[in-house]
Amino acid sequence: MTQITRRTALAGAAALAGSRAARAADPAEVKIAMMVPLSGPWARSGLLEQMGARMAVDDINAAGGIKSLGGAKIKLVEFDAGDSAEKAKDAAQRMVAQEPDLAGGFGAWLSSFTLAITEVTERAELPWMTLSYSDAITGRGFKYVFQSSPTADAQAAEVVPIIMKLAEKATGKKPTKVAIVGDNSASSMSFYKPLKDHVFKEQGLTLVVDEVFAPPLSDATSIVQKLRSGKPDFVLLQSTNVGDDKLLVEKFAEFGLSAKKMPLIGGGGHWCAPELTKLTAPENVEGVIVALADWPGKKAAELGKRFVERTKEPWFGHDSIFAYAHVSILAAAIDMAKSADRHKVAAALHSMDLTTGPADLFPDGHVSYDEKGRRKGAQLCVVQYHNGVPMPVFPESIATTPAFWPKSS
Amino acid sequence: MRNGTAAKFRRDLTILIVLSVVYLGAAWFVTNSYYQLILTLVPIWAAFGVSWNILSGYGGQLSFGHASFFGIGGYTMTLALVYWNLTPWLGIPLGMVVGGLAAVVIGTPTFRLRGHYFALSMLAYPLAILYFLQYLGFQEMSLPMHRENPALYLEFSDPRFYTLVAVGLLAMAVLVCILVENSRFGLALLAVRQNELAAEAAGIDSKAWKMRALIVSGMIASGAGGLYACVQLVVTPDSVFGMLVSAQPVVLTLFGGVASLWGPVIGAAFLVPLSKGLDATVGTFLPGIQGVVYGAAVIAIILLAPDGVYWTLRDKFFTKKTPVAIPNASRPDRLVNASVTAGVALMKVDGLSKNFGGLRAVSNVSFEIAEGEILGIIGPNGAGKTTLFNLLNGVLPPSSGSATIGGVSLVGRKVHQICHMGVGRTFQVVRSFPRLPLIDNVMVGAYGAGGVSDQDAADAAIHALHRTGLADLAGVEAGNLTNKQLRLMELARALAGRPRLLLLDETLAGLGREECEDILDVLKRLREEGMTICIIEHTMHAMLRIADRFVVLDHGAVLASGPPREVVENREVIEAYLGKKFLAAQNA
Repeated sequence: MTQITRRTALAGAAALAGSRAARAADPAEVKIAMMVPLSGPWARSGLLEQMGARMAVDDINAAGGIKSLGGAKIKLVEFDAGDSAEKAKDAAQRMVAQEPDLAGGFGAWLSSFTLAITEVTERAELPWMTLSYSDAITGRGFKYVFQSSPTADAQAAEVVPIIMKLAEKATGKKPTKVAIVGDNSASSMSFYKPLKDHVFKEQGLTLVVDEVFAPPLSDATSIVQKLRSGKPDFVLLQSTNVGDDKLLVEKFAEFGLSAKKMPLIGGGGHWCAPELTKLTAPENVEGVIVALADWPGKKAAELGKRFVERTKEPWFGHDSIFAYAHVSILAAAIDMAKSADRHKVAAALHSMDLTTGPADLFPDGHVSYDEKGRRKGAQLCVVQYHNGVPMPVFPESIATTPAFWPKSS
Repeated sequence: MRNGTAAKFRRDLTILIVLSVVYLGAAWFVTNSYYQLILTLVPIWAAFGVSWNILSGYGGQLSFGHASFFGIGGYTMTLALVYWNLTPWLGIPLGMVVGGLAAVVIGTPTFRLRGHYFALSMLAYPLAILYFLQYLGFQEMSLPMHRENPALYLEFSDPRFYTLVAVGLLAMAVLVCILVENSRFGLALLAVRQNELAAEAAGIDSKAWKMRALIVSGMIASGAGGLYACVQLVVTPDSVFGMLVSAQPVVLTLFGGVASLWGPVIGAAFLVPLSKGLDATVGTFLPGIQGVVYGAAVIAIILLAPDGVYWTLRDKFFTKKTPVAIPNASRPDRLVNASVTAGVALMKVDGLSKNFGGLRAVSNVSFEIAEGEILGIIGPNGAGKTTLFNLLNGVLPPSSGSATIGGVSLVGRKVHQICHMGVGRTFQVVRSFPRLPLIDNVMVGAYGAGGVSDQDAADAAIHALHRTGLADLAGVEAGNLTNKQLRLMELARALAGRPRLLLLDETLAGLGREECEDILDVLKRLREEGMTICIIEHTMHAMLRIADRFVVLDHGAVLASGPPREVVENREVIEAYLGKKFLAAQNA
C-alpha cells in the first residue's frame, strides 16, 4: 500500500514539474480546455464540437493569436467526458489536476455531464462555458460558469408558442393535443417541468402521451403504440442522442407516423447532427422540426462553407458552431483581460458585451452574460428538414426558408 | 472478545494504526489533486469491501447487491444536505442508521432464501431502488457548495483532508471487523458459512447472526457510500446503486482474500489505483480499453492466487509450522456426571413418523434412551437412520409422534433450540474451518450452548479437547488435521456445548481399524464419565463392542431392539442385512 502511495506521489510530482517546465519553455501559449463526450452514445456530438473547436483555434492562431499577449497562441487541451456523469466528473478532476495553468474551458455537451464537471471547475475557479440547456447549471449560484444557450426552461416557454403559430398558419386551427416522448437526463427533465407546470395550460393543450425513458432507448414500439392511440396534434421529442433519435424516427416511419403525417418537434442539437441522415433514410427525418439553442445564420455563411470544406461534413450545425463560438469568446476574454489568469478571464467574461466577432455566431447577435452566467437575450432557433437538410426557419435573423406543417390526417 | 485472541487483536490493531499513519504520511506529500482523489477513494472502497466481507466473506451469505446500502448512505446524506441543509458530518451517520434499518427490511424476507437464490435476490434491491429514484426525479443530485465554513459541511479545498476522513472511516470499519473476527460473532458467522445446518445443530441461531451481520455490514457500507458521495460532489443512481458498484466490493475482496481482515484493503490498494490510472492513461487515447485491461488483470490474479492475494501469500510464507499449545492446558479432573442415574430414560421417542409424499421414511418408531448408556441405531442403507436423527434434533418436523428429552417435548422446536436443551450432534460429513485453529473450531460448539461467557466457552472448549484427547493439537489449523482427528474434533465440538445426549452420525465412517479403536476408546471414556450417547453406525464389529443396546431400523420401522448379542442373532435382522439367501445358506 505504501509503495503505491509513494509511487503515486512521485508521479504526481513529476506531472507537476513537467507542466511547469512546459510553461516556462513556451510562455507565448495559452491553454484552454475542451471536455466533450468522445466515447459512448454522445460521442458524435462531442466530435462535432471538436471539429468546431479545432477550427476556431486554427483560425485564431492564424490571425495572430491573442493580440494583447503579444500574439500568444491558443492551445486546445482535449478531454473525453465519457458516457456517464461519474466519468465526466472524474475526467474533470484529472483535468484540473494535470493542467493547473488553464485559462478556461468549455463542455461537456450533455447537461448531466456539465452539471457534474462544473462542480469541479467551480471549485477550481476555472471559467467554464457550456452549450448545455439545463437551468440547474446556472441555478446553483456559481461564479465561473457561463451558459450560452437559452435555458431549457426558457426554451420550453418559447418553443410551444412558436409551434402553435406554425400549426395554426398551416392548418387554420390550433392544436389541442400534445405528446411528450423523451429521456430522463437533466436537460430533458428541466424542459418538461415548465411545460407540465404552466406552458401547456396557457396554450390550451392537453398532454395525451407522456413517455419518459432512460437512455439509451432499447425499443420504441410501445411508445409508437401509445402515440397511435393518443392521436396528438404534435409530438415533442426530447431524446438526447443520435442513436435514440434514429430509433424513434425509424419506428415512427415503420408504423406510418413519420413527420409527414404526424408533426414531430425534436429538441437539441443532436437532431441536426449529420450522422442522423447517414444512419437512417433521409425520408424518415423529412419535415422534422427541431428547436435548438443556436444555428448558423447568414452572417456565419462564409464560416459554414469553410467548415464543410475542411471537415467534409454535410453542414455546419449546432454543436460545431457552439464550440467555435466558445473558443472565440474565451480568446476574446483573454485578450480583454490581457492575461491568461483564470480569475481575470472570468472577470472579463462577466463584463464583456460583444456585438461583433463571436456575436455573429448567435441569431440575436449579442454576447454578454448576466450575474448567473446566462447569456442575455439568448434566443431559440428552429430548423426543419427540407430534402434531407436542416434549414433554419426561425427567428427571422437566420431564417432562409419558410416552415411547412405536415398535413395530419 | 474471545479468549485466546488477545494477541491477534493487539497485532491487528497495531498493523491498522501503523498502516493508517504511514498511508496518511505518504498521502500528505501528494499535491496533485487527481492522485489525491485516488488516495481518497482507496480507503472508501476498502471500507465498502470490508463491509461486504463481514456478511459475504465471514458469513458466507453472498450478496451481489451491496450497492443498496452504499447508495442508501450516499442518497440519505445528499438529500439531507440538499433539503435540510444537514451537514454530512451528521448526514453520513444518519445514512448509516438508515442503512441499518434497510438491512432489517431487506434481510427479513431475503434470509428465507439460501445460496444462489439469496445472492440473486440481493441483486434486485439496488436495481429496484435505482429505478425508483429515477422515477422520483433524483437522477442527478449535486451537492450544494458552501462558501462559508466549508469544513463544517465536509468540504475541503485541500483534498488531503478528504483522504484523512476516508482513512478514519476505513480504520473504523477495520476495527469493527477485528472485533467481529475475534469474538463469538465471527465464529458464529464462520460456522454458518461452513454449514448452516451443522451450525444450527451446534446451537447457533443462524438467522439472528446473519441478520446482525447484515446490519453491521449495511451500516459500514452506508458510511462508505455517504463519504463517496461527498467526494464525488455529484450523485446519480447509477454511480451509487449501479451494477458496477455492487460488483466492486466483490471484486476487491475476491482479489485481496475472502474472509480475511486485510483482503478488501489489499484489493482496494491495488485495483482502485490500477483502474483509475488506466482511465487516465490508456483510456484517454483508446476510450473503453481500460475496462479490458482491468478485467485481464483481475483474471490473471484470480488464476495465480485463487484464494486471493492475502491467503496465497500467507500460505506461502507465513504458515505456522509447529503447533502452538494453548495456555493453561492442564488436564482437568475427570468429569463424572454425578446426576446420572443409570436406567432412567433420558429421551423418550413415541410413535415418531415422517412421510416424504408417499414415502414413509420413518414409521411409528418408539424407543427410549437411558441415561449413561450407549444406544446403537443400526440398519441397512436407506433404513431411515439419519432421517430419525434429523427428526430428533429438529432439522425436520415429524409428521406424527412425539419425542421428549428429560420430559420436555422436542417437536416443533428449532435446531439451535434443541441444541440448547442438551442434544449435541455430529454429521456424517465433517465440517471444519480449515484456516482456524482447532480450539476455535471447538469453541463454536461451546458458544452454541447459549448464554455462556467467553471464559466459560474457552473452558468448555479446553475440557472438550481433553476429553477427546486433542488438547495437544489445540493450536493446529484444522486444515492440517488427519481424518481421525477431524472426527474427534467434531465430537469435541458437540461436547463443548455440554450436551446431555450426543447424537453421533456415522462417526467411524471411512476410518481404518486402528483409528476406529482410538475413537471407540474415547467413546467408552465418555460413557464412564456419564455421557449418554446415541450412535448410528454401519461398522457392526465396532458397534458390538461399544453399544449397550441396539435399535434396528428397516424400511423406517423398528425391526428389533435389545442387547447387542440378542439382536444380531435375530433372524429378521440377519435377513434385513444380508438377505434371505444368506439365511437359507446358514440354515442348510
